[in-house]
Amino acid sequence: MTFAVEINGRSRTISIEHATADRYRVIVDGHAQLIDAKRVGSFGLSLLFDGADRSSREVQVSPAGAPGEMLVGIDGKSVTVVLNGRRTGHATAEGGAHARGEQTVVAPMPGRVVRLLVTGGDEVIARQPIVVVEAMKMENELRSPKAGRVKEIVVKAGESVEAGRVLAVIE
Amino acid sequence: MKILIANRGEIAVRIIRACREMRLRTVAVYSDCDRTARHVREADQAVHIGPSEAAQSYLRIDAIVEAARTTGADAIHPGYGFLAENAAFARACQDAHLIFIGPSADAIALMGSKTAARAVAVRAGVPVVPGTEQPLDENVGDDEIARIATSVGFPLLVKAVAGGGGKGMRTVDDAAALASAVRTARSEARSAFGDAAIYLERRLVRPRHIEIQLLGDHHGTVVPFVERECSIQRRHQKVVEESPSIAVSSELRRRIAAAAAAVARAVNYSNAGTIEFLVDESGSFYFLEMNTRLQVEHPVTEMVTRMDLVQWQIRIAMGEPLDIDPAEALSANGHAIECRIYAEDPDLGFMPSPGLIRGLRPASGPGVRDDGGVSVGYSVPVFYDSMIAKLVTWGQSRRQAIDRMSRALREYQVLGIKTTIPFFVWLMQQPAYMAGQYDTTYLDRLLVDRKGDSFSQLTAADEEVASIATALDAYLRATAHAGTPGAAESTTHWKRAARLEALRG
Repeated sequence: MTFAVEINGRSRTISIEHATADRYRVIVDGHAQLIDAKRVGSFGLSLLFDGADRSSREVQVSPAGAPGEMLVGIDGKSVTVVLNGRRTGHATAEGGAHARGEQTVVAPMPGRVVRLLVTGGDEVIARQPIVVVEAMKMENELRSPKAGRVKEIVVKAGESVEAGRVLAVIE
Repeated sequence: MKILIANRGEIAVRIIRACREMRLRTVAVYSDCDRTARHVREADQAVHIGPSEAAQSYLRIDAIVEAARTTGADAIHPGYGFLAENAAFARACQDAHLIFIGPSADAIALMGSKTAARAVAVRAGVPVVPGTEQPLDENVGDDEIARIATSVGFPLLVKAVAGGGGKGMRTVDDAAALASAVRTARSEARSAFGDAAIYLERRLVRPRHIEIQLLGDHHGTVVPFVERECSIQRRHQKVVEESPSIAVSSELRRRIAAAAAAVARAVNYSNAGTIEFLVDESGSFYFLEMNTRLQVEHPVTEMVTRMDLVQWQIRIAMGEPLDIDPAEALSANGHAIECRIYAEDPDLGFMPSPGLIRGLRPASGPGVRDDGGVSVGYSVPVFYDSMIAKLVTWGQSRRQAIDRMSRALREYQVLGIKTTIPFFVWLMQQPAYMAGQYDTTYLDRLLVDRKGDSFSQLTAADEEVASIATALDAYLRATAHAGTPGAAESTTHWKRAARLEALRG
C-alpha cells in the first residue's frame, strides 16, 4: 500500500508491505527499511527500527479536526499531518488578507459576539477593529482584512458563533 | 464535616484531594457542560447549578448557597477565579451560616479594590508603583483620562480596579492608543468582574514579578512564605512560575516578606493570600496588588516548603492556630517550576483549542506533580478558562527542576486537542530562561522575535518518523491488523477512512 504523507509542506511517498509477524517493510522515497510496529492503546504506535542504532520511538497518531488530517505527537511536539493530500481549507482570523475584492471577517474560534464596532456602510481602514468576540474569558478584537466599506455585518451582539463563521463582509 | 467546592477544573480536583486526605466529605457543583468533568466524578456528592455560561452557574451565589444547604455542607471553598474574590459571596456564606474558606468579606472588598489596596500599602509603609489614586469609573471621559495619563506618564498600564489574572489590563505606549485600550479594558472588566472602573499605573522598565504567599489565622498570626517568581508572562498572564526566584537574595527576601506581612496585618488578614510586587533591576520593590485567595501557582510554594496550603486553608477556617515555623516557611528546599498547560494552539497565536480529549497520559516519575482537571472522553468547553493542567517539577537545583520539566513535558500526552506543551518544551531550552535572565516583558519580546515559527518544528529525522508512523497507522487500520477496540465514535470514523485507504492502496 502506498501513501502520500505531508508534514510542514514536505511530502513523502511511503510504501508499506507486511514482512513477518509485527515487522513491516517500509519504503520512504525509495529508501527501504524494516520496522517492528505495535499498537499501544487507541492512538499510540511503538516503532522499533531495524537499523544499526535499533532506535525505539513512540508516536501518537490521532484524528485532527479535518478529514485526512492527523495530529501526530512525537517527543513533546505536535504536528498536523495530511494523508494522501486530502486537505481542507482553514478559516483564519485574517480571512485571506491578500485576496482582492470582497473579504470576510471570520470567527477564528467558537465564542460570543460581545460588541459590533462598525455598522453596514461604514468606511474602514485596514486592521480597524470590526467586532469583539469573547472566547474563553478573553475579548478579542477581530480586525478588517483590508481598507474598504462594510458591506454587511452578519451577526448580532450577544450571539454565539462557531469557529469559521463569517461575521462581517468588507468590500 | 462537609465542604462544598464552588469551582471546577483542576482547582476543584486539587481541593477534593486535600479534603480526602483530611477525611472530609466533599460536594461538587457543576454546569451543563461539566456533567462528566473530573471534579464531579471525584466528589462524594454533586449538584447541578445551571447552564454552561459561568454567569448562570459558577457565578450564581444563590444557586451555590442553595446547593450547600441541600447537601448539608458546613463550609465552602471558592478555589480561584469565579466567586473567590467576591465579597458578596463571602457575606452570603456567612448569612447562611456556612464557613467561607478564605478571608473575611471586608478584607476581600478592601483589597479587591486595587486603588484602596494601594492606599493600605502606603499606610503600611510599603512603596507602590506610581499611578492614579482614585478609581476612574465609566463617567470619567476620554479627555479626562488622557489628561491623567499624561501626569502618570507613558508607557502605562490600564487596569481594572476589580481586576486580576491579567483580565481587563492593557499596555499603552503612547496617547494615541489610550482610548481604545481603555475601551477594551472597561469592557473586559465589566464582563469578568461586573465593574468597569479602571485605573492607570506607570509601567516600570523590565521589572520582575515577585510575589509573597502568606497565611494568616484567626489568632493574629501571619506567616509569609518564600517568594514565587512569576515574570514569565504572555500578555500579562502568568504561564510559568518558580520558587525561589534567582533574583532574590536572602536579605531581599526578608525585607519583601516583612513588607507583605505588614500589609496583611494592616487589614487583619486571615487565610491564604498573596501579595504581588514588582522588583526593578536595582532590587527596589513596589506593591502591586493583593490576591485574597488561593493562587493557581500555589503548588511551587508547596513543593519547596513541603507544606499543604489547601489543608492549611481549611484548618485556619476551622479556627486552628497556625503552628508553622516562620523560618521554615521562608526558606526554600530545592527549586520548583510550574507550567500552566492550556488547551490552546501555540502555533496559531495561542488560539483556544477546545474539544474532545481522546487520549491523556500525564507525566510522572521523580520530582513531578501533575495537578490536572480533565480526563479522556471529556470535552474542554468554550465557556471557561482553557487551563487543563498544571505540571510542576521539583529539583535540588533550578537546573535539575528545568531538566525534569523538559523530561516531563516530553512524557505528557494530550490527544485530540492542541495544548501549550510544545511551547513549554521550546521555552525550557531558551538560553535566557535557563540562565534566569528574564523580566515580565521577556516572553512577549521573545515571541515577537520568532515571527510565528512553529513550536513543533521537527528535525528531518523526526519528520520522517512522524510520516512513517502516520502511514503505518493508516496501513494497520486498513488491513485490520489493529484489533484494538477504540471508542465507538472513532471506530466508525476509522472504518470509513480505512476503506478509503484500501481502495487507494
